Amino acid sequence: MSETFVQAIRIGEVAPGGMKAVELNGREIVICNCGGSFHAVDRRCGHMNAPLEMGTLDGFILTCPMHCAQFDVTTGEALSGPVPHDLGNEPLPSKVGTFLNNVGVFMQQIRTESVAIHKTKVESEYVWVALA
Amino acid sequence: MNAGSRKKALRYFFGKVVEAMGFKFTPDGDLAEFLLEQEVKLEAKHGVPFCPCRPIRRDRMRDMQIVCPCIPFHRKHFDAMKRCWCGLFVHRDVTDPDSLPQVPEKEMDLE
Repeated sequence: MSETFVQAIRIGEVAPGGMKAVELNGREIVICNCGGSFHAVDRRCGHMNAPLEMGTLDGFILTCPMHCAQFDVTTGEALSGPVPHDLGNEPLPSKVGTFLNNVGVFMQQIRTESVAIHKTKVESEYVWVALA
Repeated sequence: MNAGSRKKALRYFFGKVVEAMGFKFTPDGDLAEFLLEQEVKLEAKHGVPFCPCRPIRRDRMRDMQIVCPCIPFHRKHFDAMKRCWCGLFVHRDVTDPDSLPQVPEKEMDLE
């Protein structure tokens, strides 16, 4: 079956190291410019659905803005789960401590799934995406 | 999470940091793979990739100084040995890491 590519963005819309969220046929996608090579991944983090384009792209590694889970944009593979926040050495007020402990218990049960990737091609000054 | 992929990610991030400081990964590929694998396990357990050859003391100020690559915190010592403690990183000009001396900390005039 032949792939159907959809026009996504102009090449110049995303600088190297940048990302842009687009909606294509109802799917939320992030276009990543890895030093001139374009990759497309699903917009939602495989951990807690945060919008990935608000994170950072360093080489092929996308870091989620919410809990710093990392993904390989060339494969979609989850490279690490959330990073625990350091709350310092100061004791927290008991209510806050209890709340954070409870949240922590739930958070430990959440797996970080890989994100879907989509084929891309560059043609006529546009990035085209074939939705998976 | 795949340990191999995480190793690749750590190698990418560490490489950028240590190159700017005049270091590189050890030319001993097996040793580098082994040490990175230990760091992946430490990161999975503690949330950060601690140096695999130093004890974690549960003292944040000291523990943060053994997060790999810990070169900036122990520069004087590492420059004297031309390598870091575990040997994951060596000076850029080193081709035979086995020939490098291990200098105990107590023999160094460290602050």
